[in-house]
Amino acid sequence: MILGDLLGTPVYDSDGGRLGRVADARFVVDGAPQQLMAEARLLGLVVSPHSVSSFLGYERTGVNQPWPLAQMLEWRHRGSFLVMWEDIAMIGEKSVRLREGFTAYSPALDGAGQE
Amino acid sequence: MKRLLGVALGVLTAIGGFVDIGDLVTNAVVGSRFGLSLVWVVGVGVVGICLFANMSGRVAAASGRATFEVIRERLGPRAGLANLSASFLINLMTVTAELGGIALALQLASSVHYLLWIPVAVVAVWLVIWRVKFSIMENVTGMLGLTLIVFVVALFLLKPDWGNLAGQALAPAIPGEETASSYWYYAIALFGAAMTPYEVFFFSSGAVEEGWSVKDLVQSRINVLVGFPLGGILSVAIAGCAAVVLLPAGIAVTSLSQVILPVAEGAGKLGLAFVLVGIVAATFGAALETTLSSGYTLAQFFGWSWGKFRRPAQAARFHLSMIICLLIGIAVLSTGVDPVLVTEYSVVFSAIALPLTYLPILIVSNDPQYMGEHVNGRAVNVLSMVYLVVILVASIAAIPLMIVTGAGS
Repeated sequence: MILGDLLGTPVYDSDGGRLGRVADARFVVDGAPQQLMAEARLLGLVVSPHSVSSFLGYERTGVNQPWPLAQMLEWRHRGSFLVMWEDIAMIGEKSVRLREGFTAYSPALDGAGQE
Repeated sequence: MKRLLGVALGVLTAIGGFVDIGDLVTNAVVGSRFGLSLVWVVGVGVVGICLFANMSGRVAAASGRATFEVIRERLGPRAGLANLSASFLINLMTVTAELGGIALALQLASSVHYLLWIPVAVVAVWLVIWRVKFSIMENVTGMLGLTLIVFVVALFLLKPDWGNLAGQALAPAIPGEETASSYWYYAIALFGAAMTPYEVFFFSSGAVEEGWSVKDLVQSRINVLVGFPLGGILSVAIAGCAAVVLLPAGIAVTSLSQVILPVAEGAGKLGLAFVLVGIVAATFGAALETTLSSGYTLAQFFGWSWGKFRRPAQAARFHLSMIICLLIGIAVLSTGVDPVLVTEYSVVFSAIALPLTYLPILIVSNDPQYMGEHVNGRAVNVLSMVYLVVILVASIAAIPLMIVTGAGS
């Protein structure tokens, strides 16, 4: 399975309730050092209840221009959240299931693209 | 002094490079059917292209990325590919129109059938792309294109009723024999002719070709903000000439010979010589720009090495893709399809595709991670949001209007 297949897959909680779909995957660059930069490690998935289209960069809190385009693009992803890789119970062909009592983190990044 | 010369050269190039086959044909058609009642669209289009070119030039200078590199990064591969396909196909249509334009202009100069000129035009375009330095290529065609000022001269020599022309321009009304839907259809065509997407691909890629940094932004801004509006005056003069000579005679422009008819009447043989040189230079310059744009968009999207600053062997796929585009252009034209018709469709489709490239550039030019301190200012953002609405409306309305009016006929 490649990451591209995972995008858009429906996400369910442990009771089978639908939470949304996979909109993005979040990586951190803190793995083994390589020539240019460290290896990337999958931190978790961003789940969005309304739209699986790209955030177009507006997941960063410092980016809010031009009005009202930025606000409209952010609004498409209202209610979206980040779940850690550890909180994912199963990744199947057509669905992703989360563990019971998973933590929903804010998907926002700061202006420099950091958590 | 050298800097001043550079600015003058840049401005002159922008004026000469503004007009292409799309502007020539669309302005003449509109002038011959609607007089100057659509001249306001040229104004809207010129402000729009200034805004768009200024943003994409700034993105290129501040981030070192040309338009399609930005689109690929921001939209991701799937939406980016859909965007590329649409933009690329419409650009290919414009390449075809420009090649046809060169051939038609050479036919007018030589009385040799245009189909025989097409291979000559294509080989010449290819040779220039293969061999000639970017800056020389741009400046020579831009300067020769300046001879199109003869349209302005001819308009004065025709001694029109200026009050009547100003009346048409300032109080636009749809002429009695035309419908409202064809008026708006041609408004979109004229807007698309002024704001052709390739100009922006070319402008931003050219900024990378010439190695612009943030320091060069002032000059690029002068080039655009002075050069394009003056180029817009040429557009208006083309429409004006058609409005003075062809509209009263009831001739609706369907060929390039009708576009230059008013110049022959107003400025005689000498004017005719100038206008032929100007049209060949303008279409040839635009053929170079559009062909390069097709190479730029493909190479930037797929991550090939690109640019005329590299030797062809080092940017092989970039050069090969342009050769293929030129061959497709020959193939389409050799079916005998009327290049003027291709042009009329290409400007409308340009308007349809415009949001695809405008929106990503608008978003990225607001992104401090790419732009640093050179993000859009407040005034630019207000204007660019107004234009986003205009561009979206034109794009959405174009196809229904095309169907209703039978493509303006």
